[in-house]
Formats: sequence, C-alpha cells, structure tokens
Amino acid sequence: MSTTKPHKVKDIFVDGPIDPATIGTSIAKHATRTDIGAHEIFLGQVRADALDGATVRAIEYTAYREMALERMTAIREEAFARWPQLTCLHVHHSLGVVKAGELCFMVFASAPHRIAAREAVAWLVDRIKAELPIFGKEVLSDSRHVWKRNA
Amino acid sequence: MQPMNVLLFGSIAEKAGTSTTDVQADSLSALRGQLEQRIADLSEMSYAIAVDRRIVREDMPLTGQEEIAVLPPFAGG
Repeated sequence: MSTTKPHKVKDIFVDGPIDPATIGTSIAKHATRTDIGAHEIFLGQVRADALDGATVRAIEYTAYREMALERMTAIREEAFARWPQLTCLHVHHSLGVVKAGELCFMVFASAPHRIAAREAVAWLVDRIKAELPIFGKEVLSDSRHVWKRNA
Repeated sequence: MQPMNVLLFGSIAEKAGTSTTDVQADSLSALRGQLEQRIADLSEMSYAIAVDRRIVREDMPLTGQEEIAVLPPFAGG
C-alpha cells in the first residue's frame, strides 16, 4: 500500500446511466489542481447492436458488488504504482438499465503530462472489463434478451 | 458442517431461478458437482467460481465459512 496516496475502497457504481453533465462537473472540480496538465477520459456508450434480427434496446447491468469493488481497489493501486505521476483517477460504472445511446462506463485520469494519463486509461479500461464481475443482459427490441460477454 | 449459501449471478441466477442456493460440500470440486446437478445446463455454460471474492480454478478444501459465488462471463464496460 502506498504511503503517499492511501486508496480506500471507493464505490464506482451508479444507478442507471451516467449523466453526461457529471463529466463537465468532474472536469471543473479539478480546476484547483494546477499541477494537472492533462485529462484523459474514456466513455463507454451502449450500442444498439443488431442481434438475431432484433436490435439491442438497453443493457441491464448487475454486479457482484463486493468482489468488483475489491478488484477495483487492487487495480487502482496497481495503476498508481505503474504511473506514479497520476494525479487522480475516477471510475464510474452503471448498474440497472442503460438504454442504447446512454453512457454506462467512465474512466477519467489526470496527470501533469498526457502520456501517463493516456496509457493509464487504456490499461484501466481493459483491466476493468476483464476482471470486474459485472454482468450485462442485452434487452432486445422484440423483448427477448441475450447475456453479453466481453471478448 | 454448515450448508454454504452460494451466490449466483447473471445468466446462472436466471437459469437457477434464484440468486442464492445452499450447498453442503467439503471441496470446491464437490461443490462444482452439486451445482452442475442442481442447475440445468450449468455444465455446458462458461463460468468461474470465486472463493472469498477471488477466482479459484484448482480444487481446494472448503470449511463452510467461505463466501462462494458462481460467475458467468463478465460484461462490464
């Protein structure tokens, strides 16, 4: 555990879609951190995939919350160890119903320079998708459903 | 030995028709066998078992105090 940046278990989950307005608010909150020179943001949006002659209307997310938050804390600590320059890191993921076109996932990293922020975000997105026990039921336009699985 | 309350998620909870099931088993392989008998098609499905919130692939003894969860493929993001 780092002595300079203690990382307590933070809740990443939000009910329903991520409001795009929170991203602007989140950026504005960093205005006082004048050591930051770069923000990098990944936003995941629910895609209206065509499946079996129907279209994905929404994804209903559930999670094994306790394990997901434990994994996230470990991944967060690893990110700060790999990129010690990171100033801060914010992750949000939706639970419940998120309609096509709405946001379900946000990874936001800030650093003095762009490379650390950019590399960290790309790495975090992959790790989170692979390791957090989050499940997605794709609800189709004809009201059938398909369980999503990450490649 | 106390029966363990096994947590089920996603497509597996849907198949089982419940999000928890009680299983009495002294090893992970015994637990796996019981779950596959109880939940239709589980043996054909891709899933992982978490013991105390960590995925365990090998067999291991169980005391009955562990937190066990059956996890279908992840779909975050």
